[in-house]
Amino acid sequence: MALGGIVIGKRTTLRTPTEDDLPSYSRWMADMRVRRAAGVWHQPAMPATWKERLKEQAKEQRAVLWSIETEGRLIGLVRARLGSLEGPPAAHLQHFIVDPDQWRKGYGLDAALALHRYFFDYLDLKRSGFELRADNVAALRIAERLGYTEFGRGHQVHYRDGAYVDEVWLVMQREAWDERWAEKEREYLPLGKAPR
Amino acid sequence: MFGPRIVGDNGIELRPPTLEDYKLFTDWQMRPEVTRFWGPRFTTDTVATAEERLKRHLESNDSVSWSIAYGGETVGFTGIFDISWTDRDGETGIFIGRHDLYGKGIASEAVRLRMAFIWNELGLHRTHNWIALANEGSWRANQKSGYSQIGTYPRSWFRSGEWFDEWLGEAFPNTFPAGKLPSPWRDEGHPK
Repeated sequence: MALGGIVIGKRTTLRTPTEDDLPSYSRWMADMRVRRAAGVWHQPAMPATWKERLKEQAKEQRAVLWSIETEGRLIGLVRARLGSLEGPPAAHLQHFIVDPDQWRKGYGLDAALALHRYFFDYLDLKRSGFELRADNVAALRIAERLGYTEFGRGHQVHYRDGAYVDEVWLVMQREAWDERWAEKEREYLPLGKAPR
Repeated sequence: MFGPRIVGDNGIELRPPTLEDYKLFTDWQMRPEVTRFWGPRFTTDTVATAEERLKRHLESNDSVSWSIAYGGETVGFTGIFDISWTDRDGETGIFIGRHDLYGKGIASEAVRLRMAFIWNELGLHRTHNWIALANEGSWRANQKSGYSQIGTYPRSWFRSGEWFDEWLGEAFPNTFPAGKLPSPWRDEGHPK
């Protein structure tokens, strides 16, 4: 798996990351707005280090990285761990970062929908989960819209801005996705329904 | 790193693991009697790689590991892992490898000693853990030393025809029962 392939949303596309994306990655990881909202994938570093990180990511057996773009412009990245040995086949979202200059334009929801369509419609996973800082209202709203529900809350988990913030644990079961999105979010029409 | 020796009650103590302990751990994790709530019962670890694992844990900057001894004999292990020194938070865990000793209060005492060290020597702000909800003995042992439940993860894994949920817990320095502080921290004359 390692580097993700193309998943097309309505306004955004998830695509395979390239070395050209790395300066933007580094810039986002150094952006305090990003760091306030969520944990970073890696700390800011020199270009050579980022190239090495991308190489290592390509070797990953269970975690997949995508770049997010809109109209040919890079606007974010997403990384998810896929598969589960003892539980049902699942995704665990580790990083979902949108360029802060592109926030509040609806790209996050669009990319998240495309990503979850890939999880459920293409990979046939049974659930997806992730953790969020409790004051990340925009991400919580997207999660709720998608069909995630809270199953736990850690208190005073992350330290930043001189204080602790809680962490919310969320999960979406396959049934919730199917109920809300399966009719609308299909990558391909079922063969029997495809126009001839 | 490895934690120091901490002597508790009823012949139970935490002590730095030895190479022989690591060999025991490898063996225990393959046994059905002790892996109902601990998976996946296969490993890349071998007796031959035990020394390498010991070194890795010893040199780790984000974990503290102990062996648990009962009557002088190693019976399990415990520790704190994935410590974030920024958030001052870490995940705790415990494993009793001797199923014939279940129910003797070994886990409860080991957790008490471990948490006392964490709060008094590591300066952490919070710890957390995930335990099979059905493994009541384990989460109760943690509760006795200040853990409380903060959620339930549904259908975490499947064993023998049924799904198991997980008990999510957290603890803070002020949730540790004041009267249960072990030696040396409770000792008269011990610097506070």
